[in-house]
Amino acid sequence: MLKNMTTKFVIAALFLISIQGIAAPRSIELPEETAKFKESIHPGYIIAQQKCSICHSADYINLQPSGMNLKQWTAEVTKMQHAYGAPITDDDIKVIGQYLATTYGNEKLAAMTIPVATTTPVASAIDVKTLLANNACLGCHAMSQKIVGPAYHDVAERYRKNPKALETVMANIKAGGTNKWSAVPMPPFPALTDAELKVLAQFVLSQ
Amino acid sequence: MNADKEQIIRNRRQFLMSAGAGLVGMMALTSKTWAAVSETMPFGNGEREMIAYPQKRKLMRITTRPPHLETPFEVFNEGVLTPNDAFFVRYHLANMPTSIDQDTYRLNISGHVDKPISLSLNQLKAMKKIEVIAVNQCSGNSRGFSSPRVFGAQLGNGSMGNARWVGVSVKSVLALAGVKAGATLVSFNGLDAPVLPSTPDFIKTLAIDHAMDGEPMLAWEMNGEELPFLNGYPIKLIVPGYFGTYWVKHLSEIKVLNTSFEGHDSFFMNTAYRLPDNDCLCVPAGTAPSKTKPITKLKVRSFITNVSSDQKISVGQYALLKGIAFDGGSGIKEVVVSDDGGLTWQVAMLGKDLGKYSFREWQFAYKPAKNGDVQLMVRATGNDGDTQPMTATWNPGGYLRNVVETTKLTVV
Repeated sequence: MLKNMTTKFVIAALFLISIQGIAAPRSIELPEETAKFKESIHPGYIIAQQKCSICHSADYINLQPSGMNLKQWTAEVTKMQHAYGAPITDDDIKVIGQYLATTYGNEKLAAMTIPVATTTPVASAIDVKTLLANNACLGCHAMSQKIVGPAYHDVAERYRKNPKALETVMANIKAGGTNKWSAVPMPPFPALTDAELKVLAQFVLSQ
Repeated sequence: MNADKEQIIRNRRQFLMSAGAGLVGMMALTSKTWAAVSETMPFGNGEREMIAYPQKRKLMRITTRPPHLETPFEVFNEGVLTPNDAFFVRYHLANMPTSIDQDTYRLNISGHVDKPISLSLNQLKAMKKIEVIAVNQCSGNSRGFSSPRVFGAQLGNGSMGNARWVGVSVKSVLALAGVKAGATLVSFNGLDAPVLPSTPDFIKTLAIDHAMDGEPMLAWEMNGEELPFLNGYPIKLIVPGYFGTYWVKHLSEIKVLNTSFEGHDSFFMNTAYRLPDNDCLCVPAGTAPSKTKPITKLKVRSFITNVSSDQKISVGQYALLKGIAFDGGSGIKEVVVSDDGGLTWQVAMLGKDLGKYSFREWQFAYKPAKNGDVQLMVRATGNDGDTQPMTATWNPGGYLRNVVETTKLTVV
């Protein structure tokens, strides 16, 4: 009975709230993203983490049937570019396809002719626009609004008074991570040189 | 869900199953225990983590971002309506809403109409309500059983559910805006969006005649409760008899078209979710169809829900088999059961008719005659005469599976 009355009270209270138009928004918090790409010495491992993670978690790949071959995996990555607009080059498709087919599929890594890393920019041309494009940074970040990751302006604001801002942001880009802004992880960018990290961090902090 | 509640559910299930078998006088079938950490599907790479999401009990996680959760099959033995907290979840695009304010939420209706309108949730709720009990099944439900395997979400049989939906008909909402002569299609878009502008948005279309036939509806209530957030709060498009791909979540935009649906955002109609355009909607395994068309209606299916493969059953004693059947809206005419590989079939007793779009429960008192392994099969036939095939067909998307299901039991 008491429980019943309590329920009625809650319903009445909710009704009052709703007619006054001050009902709270419905919000959810999604569980942390824990799925990880399978490790490999193939260079596609790094590129897959950076590019595939823009739009989906690693479990999209982890749950696929084993035994798919290079042709099948490459066709799947091609679909990501053609159909879903993934920011990957034709060379990326080959490299990611090889990584997936040798790590998740039935192909032998030793039998692969691994293309030279395609998207890591050469050190002589450190241009922020090229760095942002080649590392697909803008897939997840925008200057002034949150997409998947935080807006660069918000990052700059957070570190505005931090004397170690530059080193911190450089380290965060290199290591990636999670829970600094949300549960969605940022992949690591271990292939970037210190000079490249510095250009990117300076750009972010100037927003 | 905490461990105590899991224990209670497990105990309750075991009790119900004992009681059910007891009604026909006999043995208790051994219940599968509630898997707290993971559950494994009967196909390669089929282990799924069990994890609780907002407003959900522990479900099988298929993917994390965007989220895709599957209902453990035992849930379908709990009742004819699938509980909201166990109902499957499937998103396509990771830029999905995580907070929605019902006061500022608006449904916009525009396009080939007399007067574009924008409706609040309260305005929608003040309109004439309709109600339907209908099955929502993912197009790729059971994809993991495709042979040969295909890429995609590797689903078991639990990406489906049956619920009582309350809302307003699409017809009456469109009538407020006034559909102009020459309308061809109606498109439906929700608040979920692609991460990148280069990725197509998730937009579905229905033919104008279908949208206006009074059945497609905009629901805000599911099994007597507010729609769970992950099932499309505050409003979900319900298309009775059609696959879940049409049941757009967080519905925010309806457009009436007087042309065909083209362009970048037509992808999920014109490229994805398509079947071979021929009578069987299938192609020889591993081949590509020359012509395709959008997937639409559910095909007839049936399942045993109270026993699963590799259980033991006593010879010469009755055991009550229970299950569900459904089709794309002709309604279930008959469910038959076989224990000899489909040579002979016996008719099961159908449960209460909750409408032609609902799960239909069935029961069958089964007495195994001799020891050894048996393959129990169940096959449903719709009022339209369609029945389940004995061998699975194949299509590249792994859609539309409706082969006769087989449960392997050992009679001791």
